[in-house]
Amino acid sequence: MSEPNSSPVSRPGPPPGPDPRVARAQRLEGARRELIAATQRGEGGRNALRQYSHRMDALVQQLFAEAGQASQPVAVFALGGYGRRELCLHSDIDLLVMFAATIGPPDEKFLHAFLNPLWDLGLTVGHHVREVPEGAGLEADNPEFLLALTDARAIVGDATLLDQFLAASNMARTATRTLDALKALIAERHAKFNDTLYQLEPDIKEAPGGLRDLFGAQTIAMLTDPILLGQGGAGPRALEDAEEFLLKVRSILHLEAKRHHNILGHELQERAAEVLRYSGASPRQRVERFMGDYFRHARSIDRSLRWALRAAPAPIGRNLVRAADGIRFVDARAAAERPETWLALFQAALDHDTAVSDDALSCIHQNAGRFAPEDFLPGAAHRDALLRFLKPRRGLYARLSEMHDSGLLGQMIPEFKAINCRVVRDFYHKYTVDEHTLLTIKNLERLADPARPERERFARLLTELDAPELLVLSLLLHDVGKWTDEDHATESTRMARQLFERLDLEQESRDFVEFLVSQHLKMSLVAFRRDTEDPEIVRQFADLVGVEDRLKALCLMTLADVEAVSRETLTPWKEELLWRLYVDTYNFLTLAYGDEVIDRDHSAHSALSANRPADVSAEEIAEFLEGWPRRYLQLFSPAAVFHHVRQARDIGPDAVKAWLERSDAGWELTVLTYDKPFLFSNISGVLSSFGMDIQRGFAFTKPSGPIVDVFHFTDEERFLELNEGGEAQLLKTLQEVLTRRLDVAVRLKGREEGAFRRRLPGFAPVIHCDNESSRRYTIVEIVAENALGLLYRVSRAMSELGCDVDLVLIGTEGRRAIDVFHLTRNGEKLTAAQQLEVTDNLQRVLEGRP
Amino acid sequence: MKLIKSIVRPNKVDEVKAALEKLQISGMTVTEVRGHGKQKGHTAIYRGQEYNVSLLPKMEIEVVVPDSMADEAIKAIIEAARTGEIGDGRVFVIPVGESYKIRTGEKEG
Repeated sequence: MSEPNSSPVSRPGPPPGPDPRVARAQRLEGARRELIAATQRGEGGRNALRQYSHRMDALVQQLFAEAGQASQPVAVFALGGYGRRELCLHSDIDLLVMFAATIGPPDEKFLHAFLNPLWDLGLTVGHHVREVPEGAGLEADNPEFLLALTDARAIVGDATLLDQFLAASNMARTATRTLDALKALIAERHAKFNDTLYQLEPDIKEAPGGLRDLFGAQTIAMLTDPILLGQGGAGPRALEDAEEFLLKVRSILHLEAKRHHNILGHELQERAAEVLRYSGASPRQRVERFMGDYFRHARSIDRSLRWALRAAPAPIGRNLVRAADGIRFVDARAAAERPETWLALFQAALDHDTAVSDDALSCIHQNAGRFAPEDFLPGAAHRDALLRFLKPRRGLYARLSEMHDSGLLGQMIPEFKAINCRVVRDFYHKYTVDEHTLLTIKNLERLADPARPERERFARLLTELDAPELLVLSLLLHDVGKWTDEDHATESTRMARQLFERLDLEQESRDFVEFLVSQHLKMSLVAFRRDTEDPEIVRQFADLVGVEDRLKALCLMTLADVEAVSRETLTPWKEELLWRLYVDTYNFLTLAYGDEVIDRDHSAHSALSANRPADVSAEEIAEFLEGWPRRYLQLFSPAAVFHHVRQARDIGPDAVKAWLERSDAGWELTVLTYDKPFLFSNISGVLSSFGMDIQRGFAFTKPSGPIVDVFHFTDEERFLELNEGGEAQLLKTLQEVLTRRLDVAVRLKGREEGAFRRRLPGFAPVIHCDNESSRRYTIVEIVAENALGLLYRVSRAMSELGCDVDLVLIGTEGRRAIDVFHLTRNGEKLTAAQQLEVTDNLQRVLEGRP
Repeated sequence: MKLIKSIVRPNKVDEVKAALEKLQISGMTVTEVRGHGKQKGHTAIYRGQEYNVSLLPKMEIEVVVPDSMADEAIKAIIEAARTGEIGDGRVFVIPVGESYKIRTGEKEG
């Protein structure tokens, strides 16, 4: 059992006197007498009700203390009018009892001990009982409860429980639903009164212009914009007067009717006019004046409610709303203290294709300087959110500019602050370094905007990048080193590494960004100033970039960077040169890489050997690597290479070593075994037979030694997720197929037929045979609509003709599969006749002909 | 006076400029151009599909020199721009009748 953590009242000892019930009844009676006296004086308004609420609080606190101990932290909150401290004489006492966790028998006992005396006192208690974890389902809770919660006020117990309860909820969705529920309830209620406030005998609580409308307008403002009611409608002063008037009248109605009664009938109108001392020779005159005031106040409320309904911004996130002038904080004062929430403001603006409002920007501008970089990105979730934010899309430049102008960007990323308004004089640049940098992102954003199809060939490259946000991060950092007059690419790289540490970026991402930042000038240099018709220049450039993803990113970075220098810099002429270098390098990387083989003298050996783990010898590494394309070393980290070396130890000709690993985008299957007929198609077939969608992959074969095949795939049918032991089952099936105990064709048959039936009208497949690009291999490039079992079918079609599938690059871009096969037949390139045979066979397979 | 108009490989511009500057010829107009001569472009393959690159990016450098310097300038351009491969470009020499400075209206040459 635990005590409530922060009870606002101390627990008294045993109550004095023989019967605590009598004492309680006397306390309540005393409070009522005070309120009645005030009401009779015509003063039953806000102050009197606050006083009565305060007395009720004391009673509740006493009962809480006397109820014994719950087994866990618990708190009681006042809801509705009581929560607003406007408890009337015969109003219900609306309470929320919140427990920290699941309620057990001691808690139920506590609950009874707490509530029973309230009932014994003759009070009408409306109570809700909740547990903190139930906050997760808050948005689905009943609308009246959601609304009541907006007025919740802690009376006794651990007041933080409500914060915890709300924190567990989806605040944005809950706020939206609360607002929607409120609007629906208002419409429903008004309909009952024929949508008019001009009632001869009005219900001062429920009718249009009544107290519920007033609270409705206040709630809308609270949920969306605290100053909303000051910006339109009748104005705050008129609302205060209306509230005071209605509360005084309501107190009179409760007193006169001796019950919870809110209808201002003719008789009660006379009584209220008298109590409130309206002047007039006859009761009728007094009533007319009194009702004139009533309608005036009701009109004020009605006007403000209509304004609130019309002008309220839409809640879209925690403490965020979308207003006419953009995204703003609901509570700017609270937001000012929580810099880790600021990025969400800009993300919301991006998501809703709007700006950030001026007042939110000025809040950030005034406060950003108070915080250190880590305050903006304190946790992994915040750092991930920054990377998500940097995905190129329409509006990113504008949002980054807002962040920069308000001081947030420089404070969050001090490296960027170093180039704030930095002027570098040269013959080309037309903007300050910071603006040039942001413009590069604008250029990239334009490529990503489907509404503005520009430079389609480059735009497509952007869609093909695995992590385009890392390209944006690289652009953001590429010129930060220009704060000094030294070699800026080197300085930018050094500064980028500082940011990597703070962002706790994965090693692979660090390498990618560091490559782009350090080499950002290289592609324009080669494209515009070197003879790119010289294959050696292309080869050297291909060596520098290593893999297609880096090439694509560097190409886009160069395009964006050149375009951001000035309006005239990126000419169609330069674009063409850049594109040609891209294509030549891409072709070298995908078509000619098979000729670049690792030999015993390769420099990578020494680097790997120097950092090798104790259980792997240098000789082992050299032996394992020899004969593979150098590309192998660009695709695998040293840790992966060492793992491959270990797995390849003592591997027999028939053995199959295969393992599955989870990756960011799905799964990765690695297979190490000796080459055998139909090996590649069998592995692809097994994956397809489990419904896996192969996205990327590589197959490396060398004349002696084992092969390494790696497949990145997504588990479309969630087989591995939903089936315990699914991974083992997949690997077992693979073993059986590769050791010829199971025919994968049988497993695939049903699935393939289904896949063919579901085929969408696609584009004609492209098959291109190339005997020129590689000295050792015939290359077959296939671009076709991606489909289940595609890789299996095409690789099988090639193996059936006696071809050895030596090297494979698998790629998927949207609906298109782009696969490049390096083939030999009996160790030789294919003849022209054999190429024709392969092409025909592939055409037949891709068209689904038998 | 002669107008010497040379079409060269983009990567040769710096070398041609340097060669002309050595001859004290510093005024020149450099333009990005696309076209083809005997080289006629070629067909490139990207992802299995052919695309034509018949108009190749080149640089055009124009200089006006006195008749007495023309041969020397032409020689310098050819030496600086030559690789020996197809696509090295062309040099055109055009006689210039008159030349005026726009600022002063002064006639030259």
